[in-house]
Amino acid sequence: MKITTIARNTFKEAKRDRVLYLLFFFAAGCLLFSRFLALLTVGDRIKIIKDVGLASISLFGMLMAILMGTGLVYKEIDKKTIFTLLAKPIHRVEFLLGKFLGLVLTIFIMTGLMAAVFLLILFLHTFTVEWKILLAILYIFFELCLMTAVALLFSTFTTPILASLYSLGFYLIGHLSWSMEMLIKKVKSGAGRAALQVLYIVLPDLENFNFKTEVVHNLPIPAKLLGISFLYGVVYTAFILLLAMLVFRRRDFI
Amino acid sequence: MSSGEKLLRRQRNLIIFLLIGSLLLFSWLKLQSDRVARKKVPGSSIIYLPSGKYLKHLTFGYSSLVADIIYLWAIQYYGNYAIPDRFKYLEHIFSIISELDPKYVDPYEVGALIAVYEAGDPNLAYKILDMGLEKNPDMWIFPFQAGHIAQMQKDFEVAREYYRKAMEIPGAPPIVKRLYAHAAYRTMDYQEAWEMWKEVYETAQEDWVKEIAYNHLYRVKSTVDTTALTALVNKFREKYGRLPSDLKALVRVGLLKEVPKDLDGKDYVYDPKTGEVKPARVWWKR
Repeated sequence: MKITTIARNTFKEAKRDRVLYLLFFFAAGCLLFSRFLALLTVGDRIKIIKDVGLASISLFGMLMAILMGTGLVYKEIDKKTIFTLLAKPIHRVEFLLGKFLGLVLTIFIMTGLMAAVFLLILFLHTFTVEWKILLAILYIFFELCLMTAVALLFSTFTTPILASLYSLGFYLIGHLSWSMEMLIKKVKSGAGRAALQVLYIVLPDLENFNFKTEVVHNLPIPAKLLGISFLYGVVYTAFILLLAMLVFRRRDFI
Repeated sequence: MSSGEKLLRRQRNLIIFLLIGSLLLFSWLKLQSDRVARKKVPGSSIIYLPSGKYLKHLTFGYSSLVADIIYLWAIQYYGNYAIPDRFKYLEHIFSIISELDPKYVDPYEVGALIAVYEAGDPNLAYKILDMGLEKNPDMWIFPFQAGHIAQMQKDFEVAREYYRKAMEIPGAPPIVKRLYAHAAYRTMDYQEAWEMWKEVYETAQEDWVKEIAYNHLYRVKSTVDTTALTALVNKFREKYGRLPSDLKALVRVGLLKEVPKDLDGKDYVYDPKTGEVKPARVWWKR
């Protein structure tokens, strides 16, 4: 109950944030721009529209998660409203979960709006609704949930600027960690290789949520992978939230 | 310890326990997801890369760094034997690198090597090296490498042209001139081959270079002489219905003023049974 109240308030607060609308405006601009970009290509224009569209949803969704998520807790501390909140019978864990769920709800609505614009543009070109696209968008949303948790984690102990940089770093690592596999193959067996293998497993693999290529090229996606990726997202998000709770529990506001 | 503290400690332990549990679980899930094979579009990552000219604007001043990244990636990509048609976009990739960092020498050289030895397409190798020369007109290595590739392909006309280009660039090593002279000989331009080997002989600082040049001069002269003598022997046979008994017979019947000698001053060897004329010594065994 307390969690839903905090989540509802966080959502209301996020709705008033101008950054959200600015990012949505840019995302819609990029989605429309994909139409003109497609004119420059030789061959399949729809492919370009789908690529730019999905990339825009992913990129601007990530920016929304980071820019809003990193300020969630910090703002409360900075404006001293945290004292009023925590003086009430609200547990810090509930406070964090409420904040997280509120922002996830915001991100969900914004992703839905971007998806609607995207599908409309696609429909105007193909006169068909490609429902498979929604699968790629759904997994983008799972990735954004994880990014929201990451932004929230950094928000619990540092300033929004630093938290944004750390979150961006996490995002980049998440999308590049797959290439560590190549590095591991090149490193001779030993402590270095073992360390790399551990890093490879522990570092986030955001490519698990990337089904853009498969959807655009209409390739089959193994159901098992979809299931594992979903679980991976849930568990990793839970891990980050637990870490945030652990940090936030020890935080002294005086 | 108060009951409140106990509760807090219990909560902390629970969070730590859950943390470790989730860490193990997502690590296991990561390994599971790696085991599921995903369909890929071969080369999809490069097909839609825009040309280097446009990409340069998107690099925000880091064009050199982006060139490095694409080059590093290209090396890995072309080493992947699982993509059978990976060479389809070879020119595209290396032209992107060339546009992003025109002075980066390695990609031209490596790209050409991949084209000729992996893709088996020497024309593509020439294109990549031509690109390198166009962007770096002072680098003799590009036409030199192209000449070498053409020589390996036994295309001496192309090799000669590239060696000529390399020779004209200041700083080219002396071996380029020798390779050009050799290519001229192989394209049967004996006059040019003679002039070039003569120049090499006269300008050589080291004895071993002089020796090489002399051997080649011997070869050029003996090829010219034996070809001419063989033609005259055939003319003699047409006229008299038999082969001449020796080469002096060509002088006696007025077909030749004087029997030429090889560069060492020795007579050419003539076989009256077959009409074959050959030099007294094998040029490279001298």
